[in-house]
Amino acid sequence: MEKVELVPYFNESLFIPALRAKTKEGVLEELVDCFVEAKFLRNPTIALEMIHRREQLGSTGIGHGIAIPHGRTTAAADVMIAFGHSKNGIDWQAMDDLPVHLVFMVLAPPQELNNRYLPVLGRLVEVLSEPRQRDKFHTVTTFSDFINLLKN
Amino acid sequence: MPGKIKTPIEFLVALQDLDIMIKEIEEVKALGFEVKGEGLAALASAREDLVLKIKKPLLAAYERLRNRYKRAIVPVKDDNCLGCFMRLPTSITAHGRTDKEVLICENCGRILYWLS
Repeated sequence: MEKVELVPYFNESLFIPALRAKTKEGVLEELVDCFVEAKFLRNPTIALEMIHRREQLGSTGIGHGIAIPHGRTTAAADVMIAFGHSKNGIDWQAMDDLPVHLVFMVLAPPQELNNRYLPVLGRLVEVLSEPRQRDKFHTVTTFSDFINLLKN
Repeated sequence: MPGKIKTPIEFLVALQDLDIMIKEIEEVKALGFEVKGEGLAALASAREDLVLKIKKPLLAAYERLRNRYKRAIVPVKDDNCLGCFMRLPTSITAHGRTDKEVLICENCGRILYWLS
């Protein structure tokens, strides 16, 4: 797969080093609200509806404490990724049944000029599948450290 | 905290998002994400439920536009329809952001959704 540069899809206003929510439902709402507060979304209800539907299809918890809720919504203007860290872990009904600590929410519009959504999603899965890289995300507390991790 | 979708344009957008999700299932599955058999059935059932909440003429317009353009609902950015890139008149732009009305581009006929 083409090596997509992930850094441009993250933003400091979409970085939550300590999630407040304690449940999967709460985390999904907290991250969608984050998109709204950062003005990447206008109507949170529409995006949340799509995210819930996606979870019905199968859990987005890919294992090793990571979840990547994702989807295309007419309400999104660009491909963007929000990140949230939960110290205590969230029950996500993940593939390996382990609690989820790192949540990457990927939202994309129905169509984009360069069609980056699926390559971005694939690259994110690839990066987080590498054990040493994955472990480092658990300890990151600042956005600049987070971006440096992605760059390396 | 976000509530539930309730206006006609929200139901239409939810339907379009669901149709896109159903169409892209195989690509997402190929990336390693879990797709359950019962999940597919749940999406099909969700679509049936959603369709019942949309008035017939509006649903017919959605299906007609989808067949013609692939996407029935297009975003509006800077008062331009991003389907045909024509500037929208103020009579339309004045009402778009409330999500209370279903508004149509006078040039291409697509349903409009305001991004900001």
